[in-house]
Amino acid sequence: MLMQISEPGESQVKEACKPRVVGIDLGTTNSLVAHVEDGGPFVIGDDPIVPSVVWYAPSGGTLVGRKAQQMAVEEPGRTLASVKRLIGRGIKDLDSVRAMLPYELVGDERAVRVKVGGRELSPVEVSAEILKELKTRAEQQLGGAIEGAVITVPAYFDDAQRQATRDAGRLAGLEVMRLMAEPTAAAVAYGLDRGSKGVYAVFDLGGGTFDISILKLVEGVFEVKATGGDSALGGDDLDRSIAQERFAADMTSGDRHRIGKAVARARTLKEQLTSIELVDGQVDGMSRDDLRRIAQPLLDKCAKACRRVLKDAELAKEDLDGVILVGGSTRSPVVRDFVRVLFGREPLSDLDPDQVVALGAAVQADVLAGGKQEVVLLDVVPLSLGVEMMGGVVEKLIHRNTTIPCGATETFTTYADNQTGFDIHVLQGERETADACRSLARFTLRGIPPMIAGLARLEVTFLIDADGLLKVMAKELTTGKESSIEVKPSYGLSDEEVERMLLESFEYAEEDLAKRNLAVERVEAERILAATRQAFVVDAALLTDDVRTAGEQAMTALETAMKGDDYVAIRHAVEALDVATKPFAQLRMNRAIEAGFRGKTLEEAEATVSHAHGLDAAHSEAVRRADAREGGG
Amino acid sequence: MERASSSNDAFGLLGLPAQFDLDPAVIEQAFFDKSKELHPDRFASSPAAERVAALSRSRALNDAYQVLKKPVPRAEYLLERAGVKIGDNEQLEPGFLEDVLEMREELAEARVAKRISHIGELRTEMAARRKNIVDELPQLFQANSFELIKQRLILLRYIDRYLEECDAALDEDS
Repeated sequence: MLMQISEPGESQVKEACKPRVVGIDLGTTNSLVAHVEDGGPFVIGDDPIVPSVVWYAPSGGTLVGRKAQQMAVEEPGRTLASVKRLIGRGIKDLDSVRAMLPYELVGDERAVRVKVGGRELSPVEVSAEILKELKTRAEQQLGGAIEGAVITVPAYFDDAQRQATRDAGRLAGLEVMRLMAEPTAAAVAYGLDRGSKGVYAVFDLGGGTFDISILKLVEGVFEVKATGGDSALGGDDLDRSIAQERFAADMTSGDRHRIGKAVARARTLKEQLTSIELVDGQVDGMSRDDLRRIAQPLLDKCAKACRRVLKDAELAKEDLDGVILVGGSTRSPVVRDFVRVLFGREPLSDLDPDQVVALGAAVQADVLAGGKQEVVLLDVVPLSLGVEMMGGVVEKLIHRNTTIPCGATETFTTYADNQTGFDIHVLQGERETADACRSLARFTLRGIPPMIAGLARLEVTFLIDADGLLKVMAKELTTGKESSIEVKPSYGLSDEEVERMLLESFEYAEEDLAKRNLAVERVEAERILAATRQAFVVDAALLTDDVRTAGEQAMTALETAMKGDDYVAIRHAVEALDVATKPFAQLRMNRAIEAGFRGKTLEEAEATVSHAHGLDAAHSEAVRRADAREGGG
Repeated sequence: MERASSSNDAFGLLGLPAQFDLDPAVIEQAFFDKSKELHPDRFASSPAAERVAALSRSRALNDAYQVLKKPVPRAEYLLERAGVKIGDNEQLEPGFLEDVLEMREELAEARVAKRISHIGELRTEMAARRKNIVDELPQLFQANSFELIKQRLILLRYIDRYLEECDAALDEDS
């Protein structure tokens, strides 16, 4: 039904030598990686959702995903979540959320950094850790090196946020074939899977970002008509709003640990209200109507963005053929009801809202790697781009919702006699004054011969590529003096920093497998040691002398093994510790389950169970992984 | 007016006749058809030089679409092609100017007084005027009345500025 561009014979030839590529949804809360095989995209892994959480071991190693999430309970100060909210941002952009983050932010107006265990990390580096984990997963499942990736970004991400995401990909050792807007990726997955045709709105509410895009899907072309949103609005904000109302004392305590716990409790409440109408409880009780009321200010912001994007597309809601729901936050009935009322129709959610973005990205990666192209994607610039004029006014060169790639040229002149330099201040945003827009870069074109005001001719050219990334060039026409800049270093990392980190990561990549395994096992061992030690203190009452002695011996043995460089020895020591502490873990588990029946609140019981389970699960998982590797290699 | 279009002007790139009166659906279809041919994704596995060329061809196509898809920029482009320039400090015909100034004042007052429904009314009124002017353009282009078209386009700039202000005022409220 869809147009097939390549000849059948040709595509078979290409199929055979096509590079191994993936699509990655790098989310605020969760990330996924997907791949296309035999014509269809699929997500990678039995449990494809990788929480976007990174734990930094004292040794400098990292854990990513569910294991890192478990560590958040024990070591909140070493565990980073939701870093997507920080990427490509300056510290001032984050004033509103700063006090409520469980970790400390440092840095300047240009680039924020996160403090973890005495180190200062760029959000780019942290995101790269998540990407590396996804890359490793894909390589294990697909049986070879990943040669390229399409990484998705919120449609409403500005140039700095896109550049920083691209840097994170490079840093993870990925060839970033394309940055793709999340709602566009979702539309690709929907359009191709369901054969949808017509004009659709994609309502994408994730953990930390909101996008609303209007697309026209026709034979062979998917065109974004307009896009809008808020790159700092999502489920996280709702969690904080709930926590501020319900656990106000915790939220204003200034204690990061307490704040983190209060927000986690709020999130649990919110998630429970997805399947039930009412959560009972004196303190933690809440109804869906309470949630609706607390969510209202956030939903009002969404409504405003939706109205504007319809206006930009010159459409009324009646002109739409459907509304597609994307992002974990759209699971909530409160959000669904809101979308239903706003657009006056039942929204579509028949594809998994958590997976649909990764699937669409995988399709696009396959196309870019030479696979069959069924549709051409025409995406747009989300926010206008311009330069600062005299008096702080912004002159827009490229307007929002212009199809990419695109370009624009404008000629300016001097305002003072004998002016020998032009300052060019590149801005992004819709506001009219420079200080209300995002500053992307400043550069100066020097060496212009003295002339009277208004005589010099400065030609400024903006070029936007297919990733939506900006390059600015300036040329003085009377002298031919030229200067150009890729609008890069401002908010991400400087070029030098990226180069240095890349060099380091290449060195790492060239290390042999044994060294790599060693690093992995050491981090794993560190984590299990920390968890066991903490459990020994917290639940000392459950420890028999025998188990304590055996456990401590096993821990000492593990520490010794960790100092050596034999990864198999470390793995065996971890397994031995698992065996030695098994009776203890079992007791913890039983007690947690009992507690569940003794009138504790559901949430407390759940937290205890998952905590006890965490210790046990970590062990059995380590053993299972070890088995799998031995079996496979 | 010259109807034929060379390949490096906006009409030529989209394979459309260089005229004002074009069906939006025809412009869109032409853009989609050319995009299928020229989009950089189609050249993703081509040699670097071809990829660079594809990028700039696609950029030129998109820029052309941006100019032609909406009537007012299309009219301005046609006027420029005909050698009639609209400067930065063009004056309105006195009659129009008075009218616009009056409506601006009314808007400013409504904005200060936060009379939102009145701002909405002013916007609707101005949007209707805009539509009337745009609807007149095909006739004026038929007659090659470039000076009259120029006057209309200058007025449209004022009107669009006014509508933006209405939107900003309505935005403040919601």
